[in-house]
Amino acid sequence: MKTANQPLLSLKGITKHFGSLTAVNGVDLDVCPGEIVVIIGPSGSGKSTLLRSINFLEEIEEGTILFEGNEIGYVTSKHGRRHLDVPARICALRSEIGMVFQHFNLFPHMTVLGNVMEGPLTVQKKSPEAAREIALDMLAKVGLSDKRDVYPATLSGGQKQRVAIARALAMRPKLMLFDEPTSALDPELIGEVFDTIRDLGREGMTMIIVTHQMGFAKEMADRVIFMEKGSFVAQGTPEDFFANQMEHDRIKSFLNRIL
Amino acid sequence: MNFFPGRVAKRSILLFSCLFLLTASVAFAKDYDQLFSDANDAMGQGDLPAAITILEKVEFEKGDDDGAFVRSRMQIARLQFALKDMAAATAAAQEVLAIYPDNSEALNFMDSVKKEQKPRYAVFIEDCLRFLPQLLKGAVMTITLVVCIILISPVGGLLIALGRISTFKPISGICWLFIWLFRGTPLLLQLFFIYYGLPSLGVTFKPFTAAILGLGLNYSAYLGEIIRGGIQSIEHGQMEAAKAIGMTYWQAMRRVIIPQTYKRLMPPIGNEFIALIKDTALVSTIAMVELMRSADQMFNAYFNVTALILAALIYLLFTTIFTFIFEKIEIRAGIYENR
Repeated sequence: MKTANQPLLSLKGITKHFGSLTAVNGVDLDVCPGEIVVIIGPSGSGKSTLLRSINFLEEIEEGTILFEGNEIGYVTSKHGRRHLDVPARICALRSEIGMVFQHFNLFPHMTVLGNVMEGPLTVQKKSPEAAREIALDMLAKVGLSDKRDVYPATLSGGQKQRVAIARALAMRPKLMLFDEPTSALDPELIGEVFDTIRDLGREGMTMIIVTHQMGFAKEMADRVIFMEKGSFVAQGTPEDFFANQMEHDRIKSFLNRIL
Repeated sequence: MNFFPGRVAKRSILLFSCLFLLTASVAFAKDYDQLFSDANDAMGQGDLPAAITILEKVEFEKGDDDGAFVRSRMQIARLQFALKDMAAATAAAQEVLAIYPDNSEALNFMDSVKKEQKPRYAVFIEDCLRFLPQLLKGAVMTITLVVCIILISPVGGLLIALGRISTFKPISGICWLFIWLFRGTPLLLQLFFIYYGLPSLGVTFKPFTAAILGLGLNYSAYLGEIIRGGIQSIEHGQMEAAKAIGMTYWQAMRRVIIPQTYKRLMPPIGNEFIALIKDTALVSTIAMVELMRSADQMFNAYFNVTALILAALIYLLFTTIFTFIFEKIEIRAGIYENR
């Protein structure tokens, strides 16, 4: 699904510190429309932080984020201080980028349908009927139409994550970010979530996925990136990555621990 | 030997007649004093019938100037009352009333006899009916205060809670100060300050306004801390998820965070409102006539403890109803957790 167009998302020199710890250290990344990028690496390597900074849930100190060719998210004041853009613009950007969390973070006080409707209803100010229609479409897409009137507490982990995906999709995002979407799931529930993500990939959704599931990376990714200590250590197509980069000592030891 | 016989005879007659009058009158008074004293002795020995027999010897003398008759009959009445012979007791009091129909002691005594003849519950019910109209008037005011504060304080509390968690320092500072002040001083003092203290600074309130102001500020401060705790207890991922679909901070608060606090806040807020019902009694000190004040008035007017018991029962009724309502609301607020 690779295209040679202008990158949808372009990260340049992204740097983020937590105190004295450098979480992300000058990362560059171009993601083309329709591309599926899988980021792997040991915990604490900065994968999640990188993903969260794309959605402005983390504020980066250095670097620029270009979305569809435009620099976004940060402005420089008269005094030369860099800070996050006004909330209205940040919110507008976030609504174009869907995000799925490790712990689902469904809204427990809303039904499944209510969760999926919430974005179109509150953020896009659509009418309840229109929002409902979109939500029902999205629930059908993740195969949970029959669960629309129940509360999230009654769902299995896999179902919860599929609802979370539907909730993100309801905003019609151009880019989807998955932050370890299966790490909180029982092994037998991982498959249904990956099936859903796979379907999205077939439809041409651009995705950045942080995961520990190597099988999935091999099968789905257009590009696999290994991240460690805040930097990209190696990247390549799955074939290339798992065939050649395996010689990289650190990747080998990491994969041996995982597999 | 007969010196100045005529004078002596004259003097003697005078002297004797005086003496006679004196002894006669002394004998007359002393007679009853002795009777009363004897009766007292008999009572001291616990022989009440003997005391009654002695007192019955007191008779009605013209005018009953020294009140001995009334005194004796009332004493008999009380003794018979103590012996549970209500007929005899009434008869004794009636003797007094026959002569002095307006004698208040006898009339009161007849009242107590009537009461004694009734079963205790009937007396209680009679007292209740006597006090209830006044107490209910007070209770209406109590409920008015409670309802007003229940409407005002959650709004005030929410504003203070949001102010407290604001990242804008002046706002969070002011809210901290507000809570510090109103939680750190007695409510009674706050009420006194508003009603009695502020007029000296040129601000005068009616009792009701002062009561609403005092209770409202105090309860807003308490609820502010409770609501802040509730908001901060919601998992951080909820705010992130809301932001990730493009919500602003305020949209996330209104749609996602605050609705989730309802169930968690119900028990502590219910507690506060039950405390509120009782705290309204404090405004009786700033010229408000509510349930506590009404009960106090009744108690002081009749020196009848039934007024206080009745007020306690009304307070209990209110707190019970509130407990019940809050349990129901709590279950409803948490409906998504068990369906």
